[in-house]
Amino acid sequence: MADTGKLLRYSSPVNPAVFPHLTIVLLGIGIFFTAWFFVYEVTSTKQTRSLKKEIATAVVASIFSGFGIVFLLLTVGIYV
Amino acid sequence: MWKLFLFFSILSLANTAENINSDLINKNVQRTIDLNSQLVKITGTITIENSGKQGISKYLIGFERDLQGSVSYIGVQDSQKNPLKTSEVAVIGRGTNELFYQVQLRQSLEPEKTITIIFEVIITKALNPYPHSITQKEKQLVRYFGNHYFYSPYKTQNQKTEVLVSSRSIESYSKLKPVAQTDSIITYGPYSDIAAFSLHPLTVHYENNAPFLTVTRLERTIEISHWGNIALEESIEIKHTGAQLKGPFSRYDYQRETSPNHHSIRSYRTILPALAHSIYYRDMNGNISTSTVKPHKDYIELELKPRFPLFGGWQSSYILGYSIPSFPYLFKKSSGEFVLNIRLLDHVFDDMAVDELETHIVLPVGVSNVKVKAPYEIKRLPDGVAYKYLDNIGRTVIRASKTNLVEQHIQDIEVTYTWKSHTLLHEPILVSIALFLIFVIVIIYVRLDFSIGKPEHSKKE
Repeated sequence: MADTGKLLRYSSPVNPAVFPHLTIVLLGIGIFFTAWFFVYEVTSTKQTRSLKKEIATAVVASIFSGFGIVFLLLTVGIYV
Repeated sequence: MWKLFLFFSILSLANTAENINSDLINKNVQRTIDLNSQLVKITGTITIENSGKQGISKYLIGFERDLQGSVSYIGVQDSQKNPLKTSEVAVIGRGTNELFYQVQLRQSLEPEKTITIIFEVIITKALNPYPHSITQKEKQLVRYFGNHYFYSPYKTQNQKTEVLVSSRSIESYSKLKPVAQTDSIITYGPYSDIAAFSLHPLTVHYENNAPFLTVTRLERTIEISHWGNIALEESIEIKHTGAQLKGPFSRYDYQRETSPNHHSIRSYRTILPALAHSIYYRDMNGNISTSTVKPHKDYIELELKPRFPLFGGWQSSYILGYSIPSFPYLFKKSSGEFVLNIRLLDHVFDDMAVDELETHIVLPVGVSNVKVKAPYEIKRLPDGVAYKYLDNIGRTVIRASKTNLVEQHIQDIEVTYTWKSHTLLHEPILVSIALFLIFVIVIIYVRLDFSIGKPEHSKKE
């Protein structure tokens, strides 16, 4: 048996107390960009549509929403 | 050539078996047989003398036949309470239906010297209900069959045995003089100059209303998350293994029964770690609401009430789960390795007996170089793969099993593994990619034109 007294205790790299706040902030930004993306998709016409802008919005939205969803799961107690 | 080979193979077999050293003498043996619970707890001190000419460092503790498979735990200490190494061995000249444990003494016992060792043995399934079946109102009587003498491969000079029973109502007990009974203690002995392997059946027939509750199967799943949590879930099957219930069961009589000493099981207490949270107690029907959580300073007491009281022969099953933070159990080495120290088995109820245990340890995604160190001999089952939430690779599952366990087996298992910290980003990136794919599908979709009307540009023309 290893002497655990000399070892470093492992705890989460993110303090579990900030999980709910992180969820709200990240998921808030994510949903905002998702909404922007969809509004842009339905309002733009073939002439005004720019693929660069669409991809940029999609990337930002998916990254923030992805992290937001994971922190939401952690907040509710599903430790992935 | 073949004969020579046979000779050597027999010789090597003989080497694994132990010889009885007749130079050793049990100078004095004091035994206490505790029959208060469903377990038989034998504790005692042995003063060993070396009457030979050479130093001896090994001592054998023997068990008479029929105890194979029911000796659950044996612990031996020296007089300073330091644990001594004990292992099961075969002994030359004795059949396979006797059980022997070899104790490695701390230093060799010189001729004419004595040493004192303390032993503790827990035996399960050694108390037989008699009568075999009783009605709801009757008391539960059990019989214990033992040996008046300390069963030993060595000659015993002087010995004394105390039998502790749970009540004063003793139906009968074997009387090998000198014997005395005071309240709930029966004292046998002192007997002097007893030959090795002496057997003289001891029987005690007495009232024992302690819960005869056996965990027939316990499946413990430990899931580690490097987000700082360890989730535990125990799937437990319990059975009342005392006297069978004869005749009908009356709820009315049961409600009127107020004496706490009833052979049926109304509820029991489970001890959880102090940091346990998000506790759930349910079975296949759903949540069982008859449970209470009492937090104490260094543990959490959980009072569990099964859906129905348990009588002899009745059984029940449930799932108990909770979460604990990782920091008291998970450690990080400077080399980047992680060490998990967690109980292989945890408390279910006091004086518990577990027939079969299977522990699953679900390690995080992407571990390698897994090493397991068990506190006692366990059966390692082949590693499995589990798929949990947001999991596309699968997690390594360490599986181990053991039969016939008691409270003394609540000890830590050590699992060491290598894990890269950036694997923690695996799940959020997985979700992000999935979401991005949805966006890409939308981007493609808006560029497709399914209309049967003329395209816009042709309208202008």
